[in-house]
Amino acid sequence: MTTGALIFARNNEQIDYVAMAHWSAKNIERHLGIPTHIVTNDAPSTNTRHFTDVGTVTWHNHNRMDAYRLTPWERTLVLDADYVVASDQLKSVLEADQDFLAHKQAYDVTGSNNFQGLNTFGDNCMPMWWATVMMFRKSKQAELIFDSMQMIRDNWNHYRALYKNSKSTYRNDHALSIALGIANGHTLDHAGIPWQLASLTPEHRLTQLDPDSYRVDYINTENKPRWITLTQDFHAMGKQQLGEIVANTC
Amino acid sequence: MDTENLISHARARFDHESAKRTLREKYQAKLIFAYAGGMWQAGPELINILTASLESGQQGLVLLDLYETPIMVDYKELLKLVRERWQEQLNAWLIEYETLNQNR
Repeated sequence: MTTGALIFARNNEQIDYVAMAHWSAKNIERHLGIPTHIVTNDAPSTNTRHFTDVGTVTWHNHNRMDAYRLTPWERTLVLDADYVVASDQLKSVLEADQDFLAHKQAYDVTGSNNFQGLNTFGDNCMPMWWATVMMFRKSKQAELIFDSMQMIRDNWNHYRALYKNSKSTYRNDHALSIALGIANGHTLDHAGIPWQLASLTPEHRLTQLDPDSYRVDYINTENKPRWITLTQDFHAMGKQQLGEIVANTC
Repeated sequence: MDTENLISHARARFDHESAKRTLREKYQAKLIFAYAGGMWQAGPELINILTASLESGQQGLVLLDLYETPIMVDYKELLKLVRERWQEQLNAWLIEYETLNQNR
């Protein structure tokens, strides 16, 4: 079965996502031994999204559901450009006998933020699936999930109201969560990646120690400076800091 | 103990427990691996069932993986993989845990 990774990347005013994606592609090749294609011709967007580290920026993130149509591989790993591959952990996901997998839960690697609010969406606290890492193989089930995501994106206001989602900006995570519900008969019962998505929020300082280890400096609840070393894959939600690491590496 | 000390102690406990939980998340992920089309987590339960099968000289074994899919496994091969992963990751976990305790 042919296997590869897809990264969707389009630069905005503050972040060089394409450079980030190229950097990530090298890590993917090194750890997972698979090729990466970078998709850069995202559909035009008038949406904006606010990030605590870079402020309000244009949000180009509307065509993730095209992954199914664009991929040249039978088995595809779709990654956010800001997902750092620092181990071969995702190999097990690529070897799993499943049509579609994503993370159902994320956690803060420093333990200082409770992600309960981020692991759900809408007033009814529907469980949120993270589109940061998605594995799919060409199959009826995966096609249905991506087609559903497209339907949800095209009718976003309807689904936003249906799920009582107060956030007006379209998010792939929300569309994926709704799509998985549709594809699974609204049972909330879908196989996921069997570990939580390690995440790093923007207020913490991220620096690279060596190619696969990173230092995170943070302030704990006692207001004391602390640091940890990350030697695992993680989602760098502080895009500016990751951008600096990428710029210094390339 | 005055209130300030009590608050400080509670916060320190909170931080320590958070760090322990984070370590657990990290190593629980590292204990997971794919084998024979299934997803498995190395741990005492899996080691015990595989060891028992080995001792009874059983031919072929069907186990439920993490997705509750029944899979026929070569238990000798799987036992070797599980033991290796369990030891490797638990040793690394112990080292990080001891460092965490020293930092307290």
